[in-house]
Amino acid sequence: MAVTLPAVVEELLSEMAAAVRESARIPDDHLLSLKFIFGSSAIQALDLVDRQSITLVSSPSGRRVYQVLGSSGKTYICLASCHYCSCPAFAFSVLRKSDSLLCKHLLAVYLSQIMGTCQQLSISDKQLTEILLTEEEQDHQYGMVISFWGLKSLLVAI
Amino acid sequence: MAETLRRMLSASSAAGPGEESAAESGSPLLLLGGPRSGKTALLFAAALEVAGEGRGPIFFLARRPLQSLPLRTRAAFDPLRLQKIRFQYPSSTRELFRLLCSAHEAQGPAPALLLLDCLEEYLSEHQGPHEAARLVALLLDTAAHFSHRAGPGGSCGLMVALQTQKDSGDTAQLALLQRYFPACCWLQPGAPGPRQHCLRACLESGGQGPRTEWLVAFQPHGEMTVTPLSPEVGDPSSDKGTSSRSQPNFGV
Repeated sequence: MAVTLPAVVEELLSEMAAAVRESARIPDDHLLSLKFIFGSSAIQALDLVDRQSITLVSSPSGRRVYQVLGSSGKTYICLASCHYCSCPAFAFSVLRKSDSLLCKHLLAVYLSQIMGTCQQLSISDKQLTEILLTEEEQDHQYGMVISFWGLKSLLVAI
Repeated sequence: MAETLRRMLSASSAAGPGEESAAESGSPLLLLGGPRSGKTALLFAAALEVAGEGRGPIFFLARRPLQSLPLRTRAAFDPLRLQKIRFQYPSSTRELFRLLCSAHEAQGPAPALLLLDCLEEYLSEHQGPHEAARLVALLLDTAAHFSHRAGPGGSCGLMVALQTQKDSGDTAQLALLQRYFPACCWLQPGAPGPRQHCLRACLESGGQGPRTEWLVAFQPHGEMTVTPLSPEVGDPSSDKGTSSRSQPNFGV
């Protein structure tokens, strides 16, 4: 992963991966650490994993992207190679305010990688291009939501 | 990519040992500097360097074609090297997105290096941090895909040049970009000599990596000369006693 998480998170995730390889389950103390670091996002991410909401989409070219079906019914895109999710929470809490390390979708992707529970989908190279591109069309809607949130937090601050 | 730059600058200066292996291109690199600080010339030098390594082609993306060769070294006139550099000029942010999102559709050997000049021209159209993050994340993703295509042992470097503003430096945007680029190279005008354009390049690999400085001079006939600057030796270009360890200040 080119954009790295803080060492403590990387360490926790790799310990969890080792535990899953050994005993096919995540020990309770790891789940507690996860909850301690990520708060309610941890529960929501585990819920997404349980519901098999994460799909690894790949094309013959070898390029891959994750699609996560959010609880609202919207599909978000998480890049496989670096830390990026198309959801508004990533834009707001991770990028703008820097008060979260990641959103529940990215955490769900990392957890499903560990547990090997991703759905797999093979599509054509052209279809993959469309998936990567369609997100651009939606950006403008997100932009409006974000600026509304920005105003609201400003009012609260005053 | 940081290692390619380090190797390139170290190799250009006679003193530098080139201990890294050629296939190791290092982390994605952000090249930062004011207007006319030699960013394009360094990107081009990196392209020529990698073109000489016998690996895949080099993708050089910019808003508009180069007006002239930014370098006139011997390598810059080597047709075999120039042939390996594929220039593409996406004219809008939208076109750049399209190019990156469809990069996996292209056939042929996997590129060894992806270069983007003037990132600021693609960011100015889009104001939100989410769009900027998406653009750089897709650049990283494209380079990662090229690396994957190159197979085991191969890798595709990524080097992006961004013009920094002197007065209205956008700290938030720079902090966002640095999330994705652990390695940065700051370019500052050096003391200008007679009839030569001089700049100081300061490479920070991020984390505990070493910080290295060079003095790069462009001669009037286009030759590039590189002198390593080490904190112990001090800065031969300046007699004002300014420490070469000080953080370059671009008004951000």
